[in-house]
Amino acid sequence: MSQLHLPPLAAETIFHIGRLPVTNTIVNTWIAMIIFLIFGLVLRHRVSLRPSKLQNWCEYFLDLLLGYFDQVTGDRKKTLKFLPVVGSVFFFILLSNWLGLLPGTGSILIGHEPLLRPANTDLNLTIAMAVVAVISSHIFGFLTVGVFTHLNKFVQLGSLVKSIRNGPIAIFTAVIEFAVGLIEIVSEAAKVVSLSLRLFGNIFAGEVLMTVIASLVGLLVPTPFMLLELLVGIIQASVFAMLTLVYMSVASAVPHGAEH
Amino acid sequence: MQFTNTAYAAETAEATQSAGVAASLGINGSLFIFQLINFAIVATIIWFLILKPLTKKMAERQKMIDDSIENSKKIQETLQRGEQKYQERVDEAKVEYNKIVAKATADAEQAAETMKGRAKQEIEIVVDQAKRNIRIEKNEMVAGLKKETANLIVAALEKIIAEKMDGKKDKEMIEEIVKKL
Repeated sequence: MSQLHLPPLAAETIFHIGRLPVTNTIVNTWIAMIIFLIFGLVLRHRVSLRPSKLQNWCEYFLDLLLGYFDQVTGDRKKTLKFLPVVGSVFFFILLSNWLGLLPGTGSILIGHEPLLRPANTDLNLTIAMAVVAVISSHIFGFLTVGVFTHLNKFVQLGSLVKSIRNGPIAIFTAVIEFAVGLIEIVSEAAKVVSLSLRLFGNIFAGEVLMTVIASLVGLLVPTPFMLLELLVGIIQASVFAMLTLVYMSVASAVPHGAEH
Repeated sequence: MQFTNTAYAAETAEATQSAGVAASLGINGSLFIFQLINFAIVATIIWFLILKPLTKKMAERQKMIDDSIENSKKIQETLQRGEQKYQERVDEAKVEYNKIVAKATADAEQAAETMKGRAKQEIEIVVDQAKRNIRIEKNEMVAGLKKETANLIVAALEKIIAEKMDGKKDKEMIEEIVKKL
């Protein structure tokens, strides 16, 4: 019986570019990048008012996705405004997750390390995406409701100062709102942690599951699990994208009492 | 069958002890920046090469469809207005035609009446002229006949009573006879 080699939590370094370590998850990210680049160049060259078969499929899929996004934002204009970040996040996570199911992932070795590994099993990548998502939501918040209005959601000093003229109850309310604002700051950090760890956890768990199943029975048995992983891939991409969209929608909404 | 990877467990435990939780999870500053740049590049590619051209083209098509529908509505309205105007013109033309026909009929009737009247007058003039001529001719003929008859009678009587009457008596008697005629 062969010893089961489970993938480690940290991505394995394959080689270095100068002093920069290149891990197997970065290789997967590059593969996704190349696929998107080729696909994008082909699509951009072919895109026209009379759509080809390829363009038709892409538009169908995009329109379907925009419909789901509209349910969150409630407005197609807002959806299109958030699409550069949300759409990129969704398609990148989806392709990265599905690339991890390709034969060769985990089995082609360079030295003792696998050359390919699902990109989202690297916490650095998931944190990077979560940071981009949360920072983007704040940028949209600044652009939509204004810098001071948006900052006032977290540090409600303005409300505290105004409440002094309105008596003790207003001051008490303002103090509570100030405390809630500080908690909101913590929740922003929690967003990054939850987004990144959820994606990482699900994809890493899938990778471990696939490794265990494949080491038990290599033929046919992993197939249903691979199908399950296809589903997990699209679900996780949807969850990440939808949550990003929710954060952006909430951040760009005018807070209660700020309309006046 | 042993499922636990002792090497994996040892590796994880070692990493946790030496570099803390972050290191055990593989979190690394330079790798984070590297992945951030990777994601930024991927996002740029996805947006500028795939999503932007697609959404732009979809919006263009949507606009084209909306414009076409709007144009077709305008064309239909223009067509209806044109048809309405055409019908109005046709109706106007019909009214005008009826007026012209009525006027022409009235003019024609009037002209016919006028011509009839003139013709009647001319006929009357011609008839009068003819009657006058006939009368003149009749008178002339009567006068001529009288004269001829008188001459004939004179000649006859002269022959019959040539020797019983002189010239003066003869003439008186003739004139008397002639007057009686």
